[in-house]
Amino acid sequence: MYEPNVFRRLVALGSVLVLAVGCGIAGQSPTPGGSTPAATTAGSSATPSTGTPGTSGTPGTSGTPGATSTSPTETGSPDTSATPGVSDVPATPAPTLAGQVTWANWPLYIDIDEETGGYPTLEAFQQQTGVAVAYQEDINDNAEFFGRIQPDLAAGNPTGYDIITPSDWMVARLIRLGYVQPLDKSLLPNYEANVLDVFRDPWYDPGNQYSIPWQAGIVGIGYNPTLTGREITTFDDLLDPAFAGRVGMFSEMIDTMSMALLSNGVAPEDATPEDVQAAADKLLTSAQAGQFRAFYGNDYYDALAAGDVALTMAWSGDVSQMQLYDNPDVQFVVPESGGLLFVDNMMLPNGAQHPADAYALMDYWYTLEAAVPLTEYIGYFSPVEGVSEQVAIDAQAERDAGHPIRADRLDQIARDSFPSEEMLQNVFNYKNLSEEEERQWNDLFNEIITG
Amino acid sequence: MTAAVPAERAPATIHRPPLGARLSRAVLPAFTAIAVAYLFLPIAVMIIFSFNDPLGRQNITWQGFTLENYLTVWGRPDITGPMLNSIIIATVTTVISCVLGTLIGLALTRYQFRGRGSLNLLIYIPMATPEVILGASLLALWVSADVQRGMPTIVIAHVMFCISFVVVTIRARISGFNRSLEEAAMDLGADEVTTFRKVTLPLIFPGILAAALLSFALSIDDYVVTSFIAGQTSTFPLWVYGASRFGVPPEVNVLGTLIFAFAFTMIVLQILWGRRRRAEDQALAKEGQA
Amino acid sequence: MSRRLRWLTPYLFLVPGGLWLILFFVVPMIVMASVSLQEGSLGTGYTMTWNISVYPEVISQYSLQFFRSLGYALIVTLATLLIGFPIAYTIAFRGGRFKNVLLLLVILPFFTAYLIRTLAWKLILADNGFVLGTLKSLGLLSPADHVLATPLAVISGLTYNFLPFMVLPLYVALEKIDTRLIEAATDLYASRRQAFLRVTLPLAMPGVFAGSLLVFIPAVGDFINAEILGSRDTTMIGNVIQRLFLDTNAYPEASALSFVLMAAVLVLVAIYARAVGSEKLTSG
Repeated sequence: MYEPNVFRRLVALGSVLVLAVGCGIAGQSPTPGGSTPAATTAGSSATPSTGTPGTSGTPGTSGTPGATSTSPTETGSPDTSATPGVSDVPATPAPTLAGQVTWANWPLYIDIDEETGGYPTLEAFQQQTGVAVAYQEDINDNAEFFGRIQPDLAAGNPTGYDIITPSDWMVARLIRLGYVQPLDKSLLPNYEANVLDVFRDPWYDPGNQYSIPWQAGIVGIGYNPTLTGREITTFDDLLDPAFAGRVGMFSEMIDTMSMALLSNGVAPEDATPEDVQAAADKLLTSAQAGQFRAFYGNDYYDALAAGDVALTMAWSGDVSQMQLYDNPDVQFVVPESGGLLFVDNMMLPNGAQHPADAYALMDYWYTLEAAVPLTEYIGYFSPVEGVSEQVAIDAQAERDAGHPIRADRLDQIARDSFPSEEMLQNVFNYKNLSEEEERQWNDLFNEIITG
Repeated sequence: MTAAVPAERAPATIHRPPLGARLSRAVLPAFTAIAVAYLFLPIAVMIIFSFNDPLGRQNITWQGFTLENYLTVWGRPDITGPMLNSIIIATVTTVISCVLGTLIGLALTRYQFRGRGSLNLLIYIPMATPEVILGASLLALWVSADVQRGMPTIVIAHVMFCISFVVVTIRARISGFNRSLEEAAMDLGADEVTTFRKVTLPLIFPGILAAALLSFALSIDDYVVTSFIAGQTSTFPLWVYGASRFGVPPEVNVLGTLIFAFAFTMIVLQILWGRRRRAEDQALAKEGQA
Repeated sequence: MSRRLRWLTPYLFLVPGGLWLILFFVVPMIVMASVSLQEGSLGTGYTMTWNISVYPEVISQYSLQFFRSLGYALIVTLATLLIGFPIAYTIAFRGGRFKNVLLLLVILPFFTAYLIRTLAWKLILADNGFVLGTLKSLGLLSPADHVLATPLAVISGLTYNFLPFMVLPLYVALEKIDTRLIEAATDLYASRRQAFLRVTLPLAMPGVFAGSLLVFIPAVGDFINAEILGSRDTTMIGNVIQRLFLDTNAYPEASALSFVLMAAVLVLVAIYARAVGSEKLTSG
């Protein structure tokens, strides 16, 4: 891929761009913005590169969205085709397996054989199906991963991935932009049979047309009673001036804004712009008064465990870990005002080259033989029916076999990773945001976290 | 000048403390020791926690000593693979950016030419560009050129942002150097290449070394730019950042510790072996300035 | 090489690196400049509208973070200079044959991922951690005192992370000083202080200049330290750009803000260069 002709193309591309910009400035025609991640459409018929002599020699440039799309709607504006449009790649893939599949997931989100470094469940999958999984730990952050694949998706290029594993709000964005393919459920029989009810028909993807869950968790409040001096029950406790400067919030916009909406008695799904404004004002007032110590990503864990914050927004599975291993005092609570269910999902991006294999792998995770070892290793809320029961059984078996540490860990997973019915009663959906709403919410939130 | 040196003065090769003698003898080394300790404080924490035996996913509270992480790390290609990538990328980046940067540094300090001002601009702007913009714009370039992203594109990006640091460091070395030694070599019949190799290079070597260290550190540590143009290549910072969502495992500390120990040992060995030659070089360099 | 082609030499030296920067920095930046003038959204696509008004808009909206970043970077540059100069001085003049070892010691901590270092700092500086906890139990600090999530934490983090960028060029400049010059000064009845101020310091100026640039310029645009060690009130311009680009997908605003940042930094560098007279210094 790094042969000299790539270089030649680059040099050519460079000159084309320079020339094009020159022409663009002179002739008031758009600059080659089409080649940027931002510019999904150059939006003009006279795209610069077609006007420069270099184009013939640089087939590469014709891959730019701006350069090819004389009509912006073709590749340029996927949202006009939110459902079929761009993704009218056949929903039913070829029945034959290609023998390989590339999957982008987060680091540490799968079981590992610590002796060999292999992935036992993926190896078992290969044994069964003959499909080798190129397991890529390429997602470090939803927004960054989006930034990485967006230009290719906008240009209609394959991303190189057959399965990607974004979080819920990112799922909604990818669907909205038409970057992913609808799923043929007839190819996912195990999923149909074994997915827990709570995961059906999620807010971010009604009817699970484009995604099926990978793993999940609950967003609530983690607190240290010895530091708060009292029980914490609701989101408004996070805004109690008594705790000024000792409160942690999430830097993930959708989590914090949704929790604040809930605390105002508004289900995020029903939120009007006025509701959002009110919730943002409430957060902003507290933020300006110095209520929040910081807006955390994953590092809220350290802050809570170390006692830097007395209470903070938190993920369910984390806090039970913390209780067991890092700080026995901490507690997790789903606030009375309501908690949130976050879900990471498997999706088929446009241009996936091995869809049949991707279906096989997605469905494989809805068998107990795959889902149980996975959960016992990573300890998240599995969307597969029967996993928590099996983990509890395995815990007992480990205890009987004289492995108390392992048994404790499994017990903890069975107990805490799977929310009780009662907890789930009070867990709400996020809102599936339109682009305009996403912009409004983000602008309001930026003001809250930027002082 | 030398005539004024009284007889009891030490010979010129011995470094005399130019500041107050007491300050220089006690305070400065003490200060440096404290400063080095300060630099190493987080490293000490990293090393300590590489021996931790955490039961959960997070490696942040001390739960007992173990050597096991040093064995299990070898069975973790998910961690060692990105680390290997990072080392390869940083090494290649260092070599390329030092060569290119040194050439620019030489040109800027040794020659008069048109466009010096624009070149200065070209050197400083990349350092002032927010990484997210560097990353996104490079990604746009690769996508429009239809080039798959991977290790070569990472190296290209890293070299791009390292060159500026190399040039600035090299310039601090070359500026004000007396060229008489080089001229003498040429007068004695050495050609340009020989003069460069035998005279110029040893003179600017400390600058190149410093620039190489900076480049290596910049490259092996880069997160933002790399994240855009990594394609399906994972590097150590990318992996660790992603892993932090679930808790960074102690094996990461082990690798950090091993790299640290390895670099440390290598340099000590190299210093021991190369001591004599360097002493000669330095003597030469000193004469060159005289 | 024949005499007639001598004039070519500097260009030969410049071409490989220069071309690299032009292809992989200037060309992409031109694209970003065009992005900053476009309007639209991810869904509808972005259209070039020559919307120059985005520049005054972002400047007025984010001026606070802008000046905060400049202020932090200035403090950090001074702090690294104060801490770094003695280190570089000691290594250069007292390092003897351990010069290179010491130099490596200074940079070695930066070969590990920043996340590991920064998480370590969070452990060290935790409110009841090793350092603050001890001070608190000694009664030197009140229980509510904290370092994390304050400007002090962000500035210290930046100082820590950029210290080698000051030490290395300083060392490079100091190491080449002929100590006989300093001796000559003292022999001519300059006090050691005068010798330092009149001889050593001026000769070290190329290093001071280079080090200040290597610290100040990247520090202004940094976002990592503010993100991990800071709070809402320490938001720097780098954080704003990062957020606008990745989370809000406000590509034109993010690009425009970046160009404003780059322009501001260049103006400051030019002023600084003029003040120090460094063009004369560094161009030898």
